[in-house]
Amino acid sequence: MSEKVKCDHCHLEFSKDVMIEDDGHYFCCNGCQGVFHLLSEQGLDGFYKKLGNEKLAPPSQQYEDSSNFNAPAFYERFVTLNKDGFSEVSLVIEGIHCSACVWLNEKALINMDGVIATNINYTNNKAKIVWDDDVVKLSEIIDMIRAIGYNAYPYDASLQEEKANKERKDYYLRIAVAIFATMNMMTIMVAQYAGYFSGISESVKHILNLGEWALSTPVLFYCGWPFFKGMYYGLKTKTVNMDTLVATGSLLTYIYSIYITITRSGEAYFDSVTMIVTFVLVGKFLEALSKKSIADTLDIMSQHLVSDVKVIENEKIVTKSVGDVSVGDIIVVSAGDRVALDGEVRDGSGNFDESSLTGESDPIFKEQGDTIVSGTVSIDADLKYVATKDYANSTMSNIVSLLENAMNNKPKIQQLANKLSEYFSSTILLFSLFTFIGWYLYSSNFEHSFMIAIAVIVIACPCALALATPVATLVGLSIASKRGILFKEAAQLETMAKADVLAVDKTGTITQGRPEVVSQKRYEDFDDALLYALILHSKHPIAKAVANYIYSESLPCLEVDALKNIASQGITAMYKGKMLAGGNAKLMKTIGIDVVSESDNSEFFFAYGGKLLAKYELFDLPREDAKEAIHKIQKMGITVVMLTGDHQRSAKKVAEMVGIKQFEAELTPEQKADYINELHSKKKTVVMAGDGVNDILALASSDIAIAMGNGSDIAIEVSDVVLLNDTFSSLYDSFRISRRTFGMIKQNLGLSLVYNGITIPLAMAGYVIPLVAAISMSISSLLVVGNSMRIKLGYKD
Amino acid sequence: MDSWVIGMMLGVSVFMGSIAVVGLMWAIKKGQFDDQEKFLNSALFDDVDELNDAARLEAKKKEAMRKKEYKPE
Repeated sequence: MSEKVKCDHCHLEFSKDVMIEDDGHYFCCNGCQGVFHLLSEQGLDGFYKKLGNEKLAPPSQQYEDSSNFNAPAFYERFVTLNKDGFSEVSLVIEGIHCSACVWLNEKALINMDGVIATNINYTNNKAKIVWDDDVVKLSEIIDMIRAIGYNAYPYDASLQEEKANKERKDYYLRIAVAIFATMNMMTIMVAQYAGYFSGISESVKHILNLGEWALSTPVLFYCGWPFFKGMYYGLKTKTVNMDTLVATGSLLTYIYSIYITITRSGEAYFDSVTMIVTFVLVGKFLEALSKKSIADTLDIMSQHLVSDVKVIENEKIVTKSVGDVSVGDIIVVSAGDRVALDGEVRDGSGNFDESSLTGESDPIFKEQGDTIVSGTVSIDADLKYVATKDYANSTMSNIVSLLENAMNNKPKIQQLANKLSEYFSSTILLFSLFTFIGWYLYSSNFEHSFMIAIAVIVIACPCALALATPVATLVGLSIASKRGILFKEAAQLETMAKADVLAVDKTGTITQGRPEVVSQKRYEDFDDALLYALILHSKHPIAKAVANYIYSESLPCLEVDALKNIASQGITAMYKGKMLAGGNAKLMKTIGIDVVSESDNSEFFFAYGGKLLAKYELFDLPREDAKEAIHKIQKMGITVVMLTGDHQRSAKKVAEMVGIKQFEAELTPEQKADYINELHSKKKTVVMAGDGVNDILALASSDIAIAMGNGSDIAIEVSDVVLLNDTFSSLYDSFRISRRTFGMIKQNLGLSLVYNGITIPLAMAGYVIPLVAAISMSISSLLVVGNSMRIKLGYKD
Repeated sequence: MDSWVIGMMLGVSVFMGSIAVVGLMWAIKKGQFDDQEKFLNSALFDDVDELNDAARLEAKKKEAMRKKEYKPE
């Protein structure tokens, strides 16, 4: 064998004699050679220095015509004019591996005339390009990206994503100011408190107060602006919310403190203003972060959708956008393709993976006359089919629109803390008003009454109440994440704690998602190496499982020939002039061996030279810890229901094995979602655990969606909780941790209410001197924090 | 120590700190932190070339804007 050399463009290694030699450089293909020369000509060869030893995918040379990108319809959909009058498009760039790729793309585009700005995001490969349409056309830009070995396709940077990004940025700005001010405030507070106890001159205290005033002003009016807005919208809809309390509380404290500063009497509370605003703002920001992920989900989902298909037109295969295909068109599907439109097979046959819709792991054989469903993937089928539905009405796009709906209308259980704070807020405001009226009537001293009324709000200011939930959830979340359970939103701990029903998917969630050999029966003695040599070449999950089962290192490697995959039956080959055959009962019958198939399990027969040698039974076994964990979850008072697209018999068997009494079989993705909605109508809180595309509708409809870690990307995106270590016991843990955390939240709320119950009457009576207020506020917060730490007890790791 | 010294020190430190915050806010607004990876990589790898490129792009934009404005209808 000749020596191996690296391609000078893509760095993949091949043997020297197949490489293209060009002036001392070696290339694996024309594509690489072309790109290499282009980069040298354009002075972009610095790319290779930046690339280092990274490997690239060789550039593809087959692309659809780029002039499509200049079509008015395309411009209308994807291209926008920015405020300076330049065109702007958002693209996803394929083939970006490393920062050198980003550099190369940006550099190549910048060098083009008419390109005004490019910005490629390394993290998600999305690019924004601004250009002057009078100088250069979009198609030329796309051509350039392709010429340097990448590909680009547009995506709709829909308002949703833009909006989410803008909102996030807005929070960053506000938080930057809030944290800066709070940190500076803390240093001043050290001096203030030290001075309180060890004595401080009036003039120094005045200066410090002025400094605090200066720092707290931007925090209240810039960082706290969302609360004022929230209060305004709350008042408009006649509800008193947490925002109302935060806004009035901090504003009144601010005014009170200004009064104190100017009149140089008593203690100012500017620090409370900044702390409250900063703290609650960070909480709101975390909420906004979870909103961003919804936009990303829909973007990812659209990647699962096929954008164009091969259609036969005038006896030629043309590529058409899915939207342009009409009912009756003949579509060509090759092995590995994802089906875009529903239809009926006209010509050809082969196996399809329907697991994305049904969850069933076995390939389904389709031949002439069978229906074919969008979203399924051709495993080995090369066939032609007639579209019976247009794209908008096909199953997969229906699912996407249902998903969008479900995600936007996701049930939200009203959170206890919010509910409480609403009553709390209105009560405190009323109390303060009564206090003012009462004191004014009693003493006729406006200033004194006003100060006491404000003291009531200040002391009740939602420090402990605001801390009660976040601190407990923070502790809960950190314990959960240490155990590989990721909650995407803090409030979900509370929702999960209230759950009554756990719905689980079967394949891949309860079971391992791949069949395993459960029994073998040898009719005659034979060499395992024969069977291994035969099935090694099959990609079918059953053959793979048998291969795993019989594999040992001592197996000699036998050469077989005339290997043949027979769709939906099995595999045959020749060895020493006799036929090897491995597959199902149908295959055995085809080759003239009569076998009886009576088992519930999948069967695999092996024959050599027309003689049946062995039978293997396979079954998709439940996960090891499933039974125990399900039992524990049931003991918590949660009903466990199994939902599956698989047939009744196998569903029943699995349900019995893990101890689930209630199960529903042969459900479509829509029916699963309907089942969950029905539970909702019975006022049940439903947790759904699943792993595949066939579960996403149900996941999106449930109160809490849990994805197993090795589930499909889309399932992970839709879900609220992700189990990284993919075990059932972590599912149980997530219930346990959320219940414990919720219990703590309730205790914390209780504590802060007791604190308020004692201090508010004192404040109303006019007994609260500033020192007491300061100390009691800190103590109540410390109590809440200390109590939350108790969640950790019992979780040593 | 007179209290005006404290006042001055406080004022100067807050002022200097706020310059940094304003700088940070400007950078966030300009989208410099939108891409974490790129932001970190550019700190490591960006060279004179990259700065020149950025300057050239700015100049190109100005030029294009100028042309657009003076476009004979």
